[in-house]
Amino acid sequence: MISITINGRKIELEGPVTILEAARKNGIEIPTLCSHPALELWGGCRMCLVEIEKMPRLQTSCTVTAADGMTVYTETPRVVAARKAMLEFLLINHPLQCPTCDKAGECALQDLTVRYGAVAGRFEEGKRTFPENVDDPIIVRNMERCIMCTRCVRMCDSVQGASAIGVVGRGARSHVEPFSGGRYNCEYCGNCLNVCPVGAIMSRLHRYTYRPWQMDKAVKTVCSFCGVGCTMLLEVRGDAIQKVSPAFGKGVNNGLLCGRGMFGYGYVGSPERLKTPLVRKNGKLEPASWDETLAFAASRLLEIKNRHGGRAIGGMAGSRCTNEDNYVFQKFLRAGFGSNNIDSVARLGLLHAQGLLEGLFGQGAAANVITGIAGSDAVLTVACDPAQTNPVMGLQVRAAAKAGRKVVTIGHARGLRRHRTHSLPTVFGAEGVALAGLLKELLRMKKDSLPGENLELEAAIKEFKLPEPEETERLTGVPRAAISDAAAALKDVSTSSIIAGRELAASMDARRNFMLLAAIGYIINARFFLISERPNEQGLIDMGCAPDLLPGGRPVSLHTFRESYEREWGVKLNPEPGLTLMEMFEQAGDAVRAMYIMGENPAFNLPGGKKIMEALEKLDFLVVQDIFMTETASLADVVLPSKAWPEKEGTYTNLEKRIQKLDRALEKNGETAKEDWKILAGIGKHAGLNNMPYAASSDIIDELARVSPLHAGLRLKDLEQEGMMWPYKGKPLGMGGHVPLLPPMRTMAKAMTTDAQMPGPGPAVEITGVVLEIEKPLFHSGTLSRHSGALLDIVGGPEAKMSPETGKKLGITEGGKVKISTANGEMVLKAKIEKGLPAGVVFAGNNFREAGALGLFGYELEPESKTPVPMVKDLEITPL
Amino acid sequence: MTRYLLDVENPNLDGYEKAGGYQGLARALSMEPALIIEEVKKSGLRGRGGAGFPTGMKWTFAAGDPKFPKYIICNADEGEPGTFKDKAILEKNPHILIEGMAVAARALKAELGYIYLRGEYPKGKDILQAALKEARGKGYLGENIMGSGMRFDIHVHLGAGAYICGEETALINSLEGKRGQPRLKPPFPVNSGLWGRPTMVNNVETLANLPFIMRAGAAQYVKIGDPGCPGNKLFPVSGHVEKPGLYELPMGTTLREIIYGQAGGIKNGKRLKAVIPGGISAPVLPPDAIDCPMDFVSVQKQGSMLGSGGVMVFDNDTCIVRVAHRALEFFERESCGKCTPCREGTSWLRAILERIETRQGREGDLQLLEDVSRNIAGNTFCPLGDGAASAVLGFLRHFREEFEEHIKNGCPFGPDDHTRTVIAR
Repeated sequence: MISITINGRKIELEGPVTILEAARKNGIEIPTLCSHPALELWGGCRMCLVEIEKMPRLQTSCTVTAADGMTVYTETPRVVAARKAMLEFLLINHPLQCPTCDKAGECALQDLTVRYGAVAGRFEEGKRTFPENVDDPIIVRNMERCIMCTRCVRMCDSVQGASAIGVVGRGARSHVEPFSGGRYNCEYCGNCLNVCPVGAIMSRLHRYTYRPWQMDKAVKTVCSFCGVGCTMLLEVRGDAIQKVSPAFGKGVNNGLLCGRGMFGYGYVGSPERLKTPLVRKNGKLEPASWDETLAFAASRLLEIKNRHGGRAIGGMAGSRCTNEDNYVFQKFLRAGFGSNNIDSVARLGLLHAQGLLEGLFGQGAAANVITGIAGSDAVLTVACDPAQTNPVMGLQVRAAAKAGRKVVTIGHARGLRRHRTHSLPTVFGAEGVALAGLLKELLRMKKDSLPGENLELEAAIKEFKLPEPEETERLTGVPRAAISDAAAALKDVSTSSIIAGRELAASMDARRNFMLLAAIGYIINARFFLISERPNEQGLIDMGCAPDLLPGGRPVSLHTFRESYEREWGVKLNPEPGLTLMEMFEQAGDAVRAMYIMGENPAFNLPGGKKIMEALEKLDFLVVQDIFMTETASLADVVLPSKAWPEKEGTYTNLEKRIQKLDRALEKNGETAKEDWKILAGIGKHAGLNNMPYAASSDIIDELARVSPLHAGLRLKDLEQEGMMWPYKGKPLGMGGHVPLLPPMRTMAKAMTTDAQMPGPGPAVEITGVVLEIEKPLFHSGTLSRHSGALLDIVGGPEAKMSPETGKKLGITEGGKVKISTANGEMVLKAKIEKGLPAGVVFAGNNFREAGALGLFGYELEPESKTPVPMVKDLEITPL
Repeated sequence: MTRYLLDVENPNLDGYEKAGGYQGLARALSMEPALIIEEVKKSGLRGRGGAGFPTGMKWTFAAGDPKFPKYIICNADEGEPGTFKDKAILEKNPHILIEGMAVAARALKAELGYIYLRGEYPKGKDILQAALKEARGKGYLGENIMGSGMRFDIHVHLGAGAYICGEETALINSLEGKRGQPRLKPPFPVNSGLWGRPTMVNNVETLANLPFIMRAGAAQYVKIGDPGCPGNKLFPVSGHVEKPGLYELPMGTTLREIIYGQAGGIKNGKRLKAVIPGGISAPVLPPDAIDCPMDFVSVQKQGSMLGSGGVMVFDNDTCIVRVAHRALEFFERESCGKCTPCREGTSWLRAILERIETRQGREGDLQLLEDVSRNIAGNTFCPLGDGAASAVLGFLRHFREEFEEHIKNGCPFGPDDHTRTVIAR
């Protein structure tokens, strides 16, 4: 225990903290400008000077660690005089633009001036000037306002790891500039402007549109872009989001945001939002009233049920919809129409990946806290690019790298290229081979001395037939020395994190891939994280939006589980698992006559695009609920406008399996649209279903808590602060007497080893030629991002990216047109030559209309899980 | 230190060896590292970079840190105006520095050393590189130094022209490829310096004292100069003296002896008006203070500091306001910008002094100068700002009337070329 005295008050401290922290924790305010809890100690602004007994000079409280017996004074005349002096220094070059500066009202310097400032200045020389810089579409710099606290630079450098900006010049002429000059070449995380205490670096998105005190409210909510589930504040005025601001100290992200989260909110207010229900009449979608549309949809669905049975109806739940929406969705189909044909984008890999991991290690195997990644001795990423798809989780990996930990990437992790210690840049599809090679090396180095904690798994590991190094090198294109080095880096770590992408499960070798991953994870004592690209992809699984699972992950086929749901819902449930996602499309017009698609765009977001379109056209009846007129919605018979993320209440479950609460921020925006669950309940009512009597989304959570053993006892108020981490208050499967879902490990391991064949490279791979890979860029993720003005300003359209060598090989130059054609179709894209990309790969995204590269892929189904494995046939990439 | 370069005709390795060179290292190699540190402690050697910290004590801290590897850095970023002592050693007697670094490396069990050389000393770089090659050739550096099994080598790194990089933590930042700005202390470089490893940063002149201490022993060394602060000191003397140059004299030699006894007195028969005793950061002293012995304690008693020992002499035709203005131009340009008082304060002080010198001074300006200086002093991140503030306060303390005269009637000495440029700007 450390005991110090501040202003005569005795303060007991648990551990060593700075005087500033000690003071703040005890309600003693010390003004600061350069210090920030997310950043390293700096001591530059000198505002926090305090007097410490026995020290002749004033000390910066932000840098001095409190020592036992210290006596500190924070407001003596000497301290106040020094503070006034520092403020005077800061103001001599600071322009008095408060009347026109957006920051006025929430400016730290302004606040301090009110408190300590002199009535008149004594500086009569000319102020330093810098022209305002508006070369960038998003960020504006007014460097004469800069007080050189360097929070932005430190944020960019040490937290974001982007190192895109720096201090230029010396002394009073110091200022901050992006290394790229006027326009930023950066990740647009916006963390620089979020930590700027003055108006030197600001967002152009809301420039000159309001004064901070005119803001109606700031609503704490969870981001709508990816599965990390960052906490953020939506600042609202006039029922519109004026800006997104960080919530430091809160959530998994502790105030950090990414470009999409920070600047991508524009889609909410987009004029292209769907406003009224649309019904297809004479081949054309026509506006219709809600009541009419709901009644029509209900009657058509009933008609199909009556004619073909409930199983003729299929549903795709929404990864951007809330748990409440998705719970009601599966109940609507199961209890209302007797159909288990319910699936989602989790089928593209997450579901299978999670199933395989949980089969090996038990339910919740991937329910780990993201903030633990930075503290791992090593991080292994496989078939994913966390810094692009889940940027704030990527920051955790970068933090680990910064702390000198080992970071090994398998596959193309562009967002970690400057941070990782070891790269195994194997081509898409061959990650499993690299894993096998890595395991082989690990076993060789460990001389088979394994941890000894799970003998069953160890026996299985020792039976693995792993490829010889030269074989691995041939199949992956990665030099064997690199694999050996990576193994050496990993072999002695005591804790580690493994982050795996869904592509590892979207493979014919999925089971083997995960067995290898589990073996490596076991040896290096890893916690697992599965990439989740959508905000509520995990929630889809947990809410029972899968053909074989009820909410809480309970198999629908087991009577003991079904029973409690039947009791609550008041109907008998169909015990037979339904069709999986791709099966529904494959059987469209045949066994499947109608589909209900909620907040998803399968015509664009699934491999085999053209085929999916054709399937949708074959249906007797298609209902689509969405916020925009998507490729899928334009094929629908009924289009129902749903409310967007800030317009509704509910919960999301992030990739940690943490349930977090969304709060309604906008009241009138999207007024004519309805919550997804309300639409479903409305149709249900028209269809005579009386078991969805919800008045508010909280009623749904209450029902979930009654019926799902995993969510037993869950209350909305439990989620107020940090959300709630798995397993909540409930009973996970595989614990407390429940049977595990998947065959025991030994059986699974046997299944692996009886098949002597080792994984070969995936079908999209041609080691010698050029391959096509789907780019998952930082700034776009499809349906939402393409309606966000700011994100379009950063990257305005689709591009085919390749390294200079690849460009040369293909005869393609920067800005030129590239034609990419496959057996599935063709598209023309603008070429972007980018240094640092792996050779022999052309990257194309799946984000812009008419330019969805996923549509160029066909697929085959992995037999066990029916996960579509993307395949490219007859690839040709030529300059135009 | 200068004896070798005076004793031999050419300052190459042969000459240095003939004058007893590398015998200190030979003795150090025969000693336990801890005993070397003991010997340096006994010698009473104090750092010659300006702060005068006891060298042996600093070494004890670095040696006591259990982390390895450790690094030796020679601070050769001699940027203090009025100072050119290290330059002479680097260019005329490089082996004494190499030997000193090797002794330090032996004491701290370091295997790698860096010489951080002032960007404006490219000639020194060539000379050092050649000397390092010579030393490696003779086995004074390398894998097996003088057959002892000790490993040590030295890299030369040329700075990019920033005064602040003479501050040891800024120097380390710069050496790591970062912006040259001082780091927070603690941790001190002796515990967490270059690449986070224990690092010993010593000034060129400090290191150049080691060969003698090792060769002749601490007992001999303490007989030289002031018993409280023994050894010889290099005094670069510049300004209005008959014989400006570099003088090696025992610590504690008076300013009078340096100016009149050694440097031949004031040039052209003029009178002494002011002297800055230790580089531009040391406050100016008036003529009646020149009986002050030049050692760390005595100069401090006079309200100034020994600093680098760079003695700058001004005759009675010198405009003190102009000197102050030039000094502040330097500090303004060299302020790194990290902390508020130094960044903003030095430019403000310069601007006020500029007005006074160019006949735009106002009543209250002197009060303002004092206020601004006092607001800087003691509140900065590193001593750079303190230096600027105490320089101004020193000029005001001893030459206040001259400032007042400037404000009333303009500069009595008339504008020089530089002032005209400033006015034109």
